[in-house]
Amino acid sequence: MEEIKTKKSRMPKIDNIINYKDFFGEYPLIFAIKIISSIALFYVIYEFYIYHNPLDSLITQYTPKVIANFKPNPNIFVIWGFIAGFSFYIFTLFKGKYKLLIIILALAIVGQYISDPALDWQVGEYVIPTKVEINGADADQTQWKWKPVKIIYDDKSGTNERIADAKIRVSNMIFGIVPFLGAYGIWKRKGWAIAASVGLVVIIGFLYNPNLCLENYDAAYCGYDTMEKELTWKEYLSGGIFIGLGFVIYIELSYAAIKYENYAEQFKPAGLETSLLSKVQKKSVAKTLRTLFVSYLVNLGVMLFITFSVAEIVININYYLSTTEGRIQDSIELQGPYGIVFTSLIFFMLLGFLRMFIGAEYDVDDN
Amino acid sequence: MWSKKAVAVAGGAIFLTLAGLIRLNYLFISAGLVMLTFVVLSSFLDVWMPNVKIRRETSSDNIFENGSINVKFIIKNTGLGLGFVEIYDKLPPQARITKGSNYTLLYMKPWQEVSFEYSLKLPLRGHYHLGPVRLRVKDAFDLFYNEKIEQSIHSFSVFPQIEVLEEQIIKSRVPKLLSGAMPLNLIGSGTEFYSLREFVPGDSLRSVNWKALAKKGKMMVNETVREDVMDVILLLDAREVSAVGGGRDTPLEMSCRAAATYAKQLLDERNNVALVTYGDSIKRVDLDRGEHHLFKILTSLSSVRPEGNLKLEIVLKDLLPYIPSGSPIILFSSLDDDHTISEAFTNTISRGYSITTLSPSSLDFEEKMKRIPYQPLLIARIERENMISEIRSFGMQVGDWKADEAVNTVLQGG
Repeated sequence: MEEIKTKKSRMPKIDNIINYKDFFGEYPLIFAIKIISSIALFYVIYEFYIYHNPLDSLITQYTPKVIANFKPNPNIFVIWGFIAGFSFYIFTLFKGKYKLLIIILALAIVGQYISDPALDWQVGEYVIPTKVEINGADADQTQWKWKPVKIIYDDKSGTNERIADAKIRVSNMIFGIVPFLGAYGIWKRKGWAIAASVGLVVIIGFLYNPNLCLENYDAAYCGYDTMEKELTWKEYLSGGIFIGLGFVIYIELSYAAIKYENYAEQFKPAGLETSLLSKVQKKSVAKTLRTLFVSYLVNLGVMLFITFSVAEIVININYYLSTTEGRIQDSIELQGPYGIVFTSLIFFMLLGFLRMFIGAEYDVDDN
Repeated sequence: MWSKKAVAVAGGAIFLTLAGLIRLNYLFISAGLVMLTFVVLSSFLDVWMPNVKIRRETSSDNIFENGSINVKFIIKNTGLGLGFVEIYDKLPPQARITKGSNYTLLYMKPWQEVSFEYSLKLPLRGHYHLGPVRLRVKDAFDLFYNEKIEQSIHSFSVFPQIEVLEEQIIKSRVPKLLSGAMPLNLIGSGTEFYSLREFVPGDSLRSVNWKALAKKGKMMVNETVREDVMDVILLLDAREVSAVGGGRDTPLEMSCRAAATYAKQLLDERNNVALVTYGDSIKRVDLDRGEHHLFKILTSLSSVRPEGNLKLEIVLKDLLPYIPSGSPIILFSSLDDDHTISEAFTNTISRGYSITTLSPSSLDFEEKMKRIPYQPLLIARIERENMISEIRSFGMQVGDWKADEAVNTVLQGG
């Protein structure tokens, strides 16, 4: 009997190029959590910069001395920072030589981006004479002849435009690091990246020129072009509530994605990309994950509603107190930031007292 | 109890609030206060946390090497609270999980009872325990938790693997292995056929071979091999030097497996078996028989640890006065690092004992691990071969046991 020879395909298998299973995961639920976390991240960062104009930042104030055209724009750096973080995650999924190939490709594109307008390569005309041999003539008999060579044109205006463009991109990278880290953290399951993204928002926010344009929106007063719509402190306060809730949602969902994925990962032997569970076992794990996540979402929804209601009361109670009849409004600056923090501290103290009485020490019975 | 996450979120929230105060930033103040409110309100969730009781059930108390043990956890919420429960059962580092997981995360409803299972495999003999169990009851956001370490310890033993010995090794007509006190080669009452002889008055009619009568025309009876009970001493070398190699591939591990195999076979044939191990001291399991005794020997073998450097001559000098005269001794030793071996054998044989040796070669493991250069390895091999030849010259049987060889085949060549 003749042996049937199967020809090995020269096309590499997709599994050998990229670990796409890491992207989709084994459980659709976890994939869905990651998408929701990404939306939450996008929303929080975008909202934060809507209220917290990056043009007010001290970074923006001082960096132009080093980098000209420093003009961070949330519409650019939030989306592109996120895309960059996500692309970096996709890059980490590639295997071995393909990873190297992408690095080379990226370097080539960056090189082309830098060199394109500055070095304009063109086939020139007969500008440089060359000595060539004459056909059919005696040996060593040569003559001068025009020969086409490549010449370099230096496009000065194009170069300057490109440098300016690069600087704007660099300036957006400083603020874009936040969504970059967040996107990478969510998809690559890196807790430190998520924590760093939140931390950087706070740090970048802290380097802020306080309320420079809160009262006077004049460009001469602010030192830069003001935004079309400036916000009052009350709008900032209510905006802060949404930002705070957004932070909570982002932190909670991204850590939930990590937590539940780690739960599923434990069934995967070290070094393997998929678990060795049977279909029935996988269904059982998926069911457990569903139960856990639904319970989690219910808890989160209820808690966010309560938190929102309580925070609204705590932050806005000063306004009502200060506008009521009586002497209390004369005692301290109730409507100011110190008044808000003071009221909140009293509220937290009361909650602490309450917790002392209703929160009995939990004890697990011995077996 | 506060989790790291709760501390980080609360710390961040306080920082935001204070930073807002310093920089007069309303956005920071309100965002910080919202996060702080979330943390403070979450601390109330543990008021409704479940009250959990756990129970562990295992498929067996003892297994053999590479055997599996199934563990089942039954978790019951005995209260009205609901929440997330994390359970982690501590395993010995040598254990390999083959099914399920020793960790689980559950959402417990009031009065709910759930269970989860996992199986694990232990590749090496020894005494192990499962537990303690770490139990964590926490809120949905991992901010606050109550942890308890349940001292629910399940101890179990992993016995050395037992191989099935081929019949001819134990029931040989020229008993190489068990010569001495046991007259195996004599005719007597037994079950195994030995020969035919003519009928003499007094023979039982039950022993008459009727087919032979039909063929030869005269009464013939079957003779059987006499099966006597004997005392066998298993002598195991557990010195530090016997731990050369790694994992299951060490002379000590191989010796333990061989000792377990022989003990099982000998006890199955209703013999008395004793086990003596020597390393830093001499440990004995006295002569006895039966299933219970096998359990004792296997338990003792599971406890053997490589330590000390007692020489064979000293061990035998100490031991021989207590061994019934002429009993066969089976020695399991790599014969390494002991200059008293020749003398020990001479003394023992001169007193009427016989020693059968099963010697796992430690050089094979050294070679596998590429720890000895070629020349020294060659010299060591020659030395070992000389030692084995010297023992054989006493008329004793020695099995030169190479790595990856079965216990069964060791004495066949010798």
